Amino acid sequence: MADKRKQKILIADDSEMNRSILADMLGDDYDIIEAENGKEAVALLQKQAAQIDLVLLDIVMPEMDGFGVLREMNDFRWIENTPVIMISAESAPARVQQAYELGITDFISRPFDAVVVHHRVVNTLLLYAKQKKLMNMVADQVLEKEKQSALMIDILSHIVEFRNGESGQHVLHIRTLTELMLKHINQMTDRYNFSKSDIALISTAAAIHDVGKIAIPGEILNKPGRLTNEEFAVMKTHSQVGASMLEALPVHKDEPLVRRAYEICRWHHERYDGRGYPDGLKGDEIPISAQVVALADVYDALTSERVYKKAIPHEKAVQMILNGECGQFNPLLMDCLRELEGNIQEAMASNEIRDWNDPNMLRNLTEELMQREELSASDRTLQLLEHERMKYQFFADMSQEVQFEYTVSPPAVMISEWGAKHLGLDEIIRDPHHDPAVLASMGADSMEKLAGLLARSTPEKPIVDFDSVIRIGGGERWMKIIARATWSKDEPPVYTGAIGKAIDIHETRVKMAALEEMAAHDTMTGLYNHKFAKMRIQDMMARKPESNFALGIFDVDHFKQANDTYGHMFGDQVLIHMAKTLKRNMREGTVSARVGGDEFLLFFEYREHVDLAINRIFNSLIGTYESFPISVSMGVAKTQMLGTDYDTLFHAADQALYAAKRGGRGQFRFYDGDSCETLSLISPIDGDTQEEADTDAEKRSGGEDAGCE
Amino acid sequence: MTLQECYAALEGDYEGVMGRLRTERLVQKFVLKFLDDGSYNLLTSSMESGDYDEAFRAAHTIKGVGQNLSFNKLYESSHLLTEALRSKDIEAAAPLYEQVKADYAQTVDAIHAYQASL
Repeated sequence: MADKRKQKILIADDSEMNRSILADMLGDDYDIIEAENGKEAVALLQKQAAQIDLVLLDIVMPEMDGFGVLREMNDFRWIENTPVIMISAESAPARVQQAYELGITDFISRPFDAVVVHHRVVNTLLLYAKQKKLMNMVADQVLEKEKQSALMIDILSHIVEFRNGESGQHVLHIRTLTELMLKHINQMTDRYNFSKSDIALISTAAAIHDVGKIAIPGEILNKPGRLTNEEFAVMKTHSQVGASMLEALPVHKDEPLVRRAYEICRWHHERYDGRGYPDGLKGDEIPISAQVVALADVYDALTSERVYKKAIPHEKAVQMILNGECGQFNPLLMDCLRELEGNIQEAMASNEIRDWNDPNMLRNLTEELMQREELSASDRTLQLLEHERMKYQFFADMSQEVQFEYTVSPPAVMISEWGAKHLGLDEIIRDPHHDPAVLASMGADSMEKLAGLLARSTPEKPIVDFDSVIRIGGGERWMKIIARATWSKDEPPVYTGAIGKAIDIHETRVKMAALEEMAAHDTMTGLYNHKFAKMRIQDMMARKPESNFALGIFDVDHFKQANDTYGHMFGDQVLIHMAKTLKRNMREGTVSARVGGDEFLLFFEYREHVDLAINRIFNSLIGTYESFPISVSMGVAKTQMLGTDYDTLFHAADQALYAAKRGGRGQFRFYDGDSCETLSLISPIDGDTQEEADTDAEKRSGGEDAGCE
Repeated sequence: MTLQECYAALEGDYEGVMGRLRTERLVQKFVLKFLDDGSYNLLTSSMESGDYDEAFRAAHTIKGVGQNLSFNKLYESSHLLTEALRSKDIEAAAPLYEQVKADYAQTVDAIHAYQASL
C-alpha cells in the first residue's frame, strides 16, 4: 500500500484475554479496535466500515453472536469489502460451513498460534488490498473511458454535421429529444420498460444516425433547392451506407452501443405505414429506437434552418407531424410528442451546451458508476463520505438532538450516538416496526403515523413533521419529529427511507397548555369564562345533537346589597364561595361558568326529570356565607324546546331568569316560550347596574314550568 | 519458581504454549493476566443463579483462554462443562462444574506461587 496509514483491524471477542492475546500477536503494525460483543462490533462497522480492513470475529458472544454479525455484514453489504476471519474453537463442520457461506475469508481455530494468526491476517489483507486497488483502477478507467468515448461520439457526429452544413445543434437536439421521448414512453406504457442504461445507449447512438452521409457527395448533400430524382436516390443511400459502415467494424460490432447505432442508422427513414426506406419495414418491424430517432430527426429538421429551407416554428412543426405531413409514425409516438409538446423547447434550450468539463455531468456519471453493483466506491469517494459522516456526527453530538436515519430496505433505523443514549435505544435497530424497545418508546400508533406520513410524501414535498409523546427514562415527553423522506432518482421515484430529528418541545407544549387553560378561565372563581363555556357547549351539542340539554343562568339575590354593605372584597368572597358550592354540587360533565358580575351559567345533559336536577342544584346553592344569607334566582332553557342554537338558548334562559326575579327572586323558572320580556338582566363582569326587581319575597318555585308574566 | 515449573504445577503444556506464543515474556504476561479474568466469577454466579446460557458462555470463554494458554487440565474440564451446558444437560454439568472449580483453584494457586517468586 502506498499510503502510510496503518491498517485497521477490528477484533470482536467477548474475552478480554483473547482480544489481548490476538492484539499482542499482531503487534504494533496494525491499528487495533476491539468489540466485546456482536452488537458493539456492528456499531463500529456502521460507523467506520470503510476504514476497517479486517475483522477477526469470535462466534460465541453475548448480545449478538458471530453469525449475527455476519448476517448484518451481509445485509449492509460490508462483507463485500471487509474480509472476516473467524476465530473460534467451534470446529463442527456444519458451523464452519455456515460461516463460509456467510462470506468469511478464513478460519482460525484455537489455540492461537502467533505465526498462523500473523500469516493469515497478512495474506487476507494483501488479497483484499489488491482487490480494492483493482476496483479503484477499474472505476477510474471506466470513468475515463466513458468520458473519452462520449467525446469521440461528439466529435464524430460533429464532423457529419459540419459536412452536412446543418445547424451545429442538430445532433444534440436529437439526442435530447430522443432521451425525453424514451423517458416519457416509459411513463405511458409498460411495453418497453427502457432501463436507464437503455435510454443512455439509444440517445447516445442517436447522435450518429446520419453517419452514412459521409459517403454522400458534397454537391448533393449541400445542394440548395430541390434534389432531382437521381440525386434523391443517392441521398437515400446514406441510411444503408451508415449501417454497413458499422457492420463492417473490425471490432466492437457486437457492443450494445454499436448494435443500437446500427438499427438507428439503417432504419431512421422507415415509416410506420411501410412507405419509408431503405427496407420498407412496417409498424413494429421497425425497432423502437429507430422509430423514436426518426421522429426526433423530422422534428429537428423542421424546426432548424437548412440550405434549402427556413426554420419552421415549434407549434407548426408539431402540427405538421401530427397531420402526417412527414410520413406516418407509430400512434404511441404521436401521443408522446403531443404530450411532450410543452416540454420540448425548454429541454432543448437547457441542453444547448454540452461540456465534458461540466462538474454536474461528471457527478452524474460518477453517481451512475456508483450505482453499478459490480463496482464499489473508489477511495476518493469513500474519503468524501467519511468526511461527511464525521461532519454529521460532530454536529449531531453538538446539537443534543435525536437524529435518525431510516432505510426501507433493509428496514433499519440508525440513531445518532447522543440520541440513542438519550432515548435508551440501540444506535442501530433492525426492523424498528417490530422492535419492542422502539414500540415501547414511541408507541405503535405514532410509528404508524410517521411511517404513513413519510410514505405519502412526494419528492417535491418530502418534509413531514408531527408531534408525538415519547417515553424517555420512565417519563413521557412531547417531541416534534421533523423528517425528510428520501426518494430515488428512478422514474417513477421510489421511497427509500428518511432522515430526520426529534426535538424536545415538552416545556413549550406544557406552557402552551397552561396558557390555554388560563385563557379559558375566569381568574377569580376558576370557573370557565363565558367565551370558553360557549365553545364547550356548542361542541357538546354538536357531538350529540339527539340528546337533551338544559342551560341555566342564575345570579345571587341582593348581591348589590352585599357589596354595598360589606365592600367589594366581601362581594368577591361571596362569588368565590358560590363557584365552590356550584363545583361541589355539579354532576360530572356539567359545564359551569361565570358569565357576568354575579351571574353564573350551568349546562348539562339530562335524560329525564330535568326539573329534579335543577331543583337539586338550586337548593344546594342556598345557604349563608359569613352570616350573609344567600339565595339565587335562576332561569333555565331546554334544547328540547328551543333547539341547539346557543344564542337562542342563552337568551331564553336570560328571559326566564328575569321572570324569576320579577316573580320575587329566590326561585327558578323554565323558559316556556311565551316571551314577553326582552330586557336582559345579564350585566358585564364587575358591572352591577341592573335594576333590582321590586319584591324581596323569598318564594320558592316548584317543579312546574312558569312562564314569564 | 520458573514459568515451566508453574506450568507443571497447573498441569499445562509449557512447550505447547511457547511454540505458539513464541516468547516467554508474552506467556508470562498472559499467565499473570489470567488472574484478572472475570470469566470464572461469571461462571460461578451464573451457575448459582441458574442462568445456564450465561454459564455456557462463561465456561466457553474459560475453555478458550485455557486452550490459548495451554492450561490443559483446566481446558479439558471446562471443555466438558461447556458441552454439557451447550446441550442443557444440567445433571451432567453439576459434577463437571465441581471439577472446573478444583482445576481453576489449582491453576490459580500455581500462578500465585509463581507470581510470589518473581
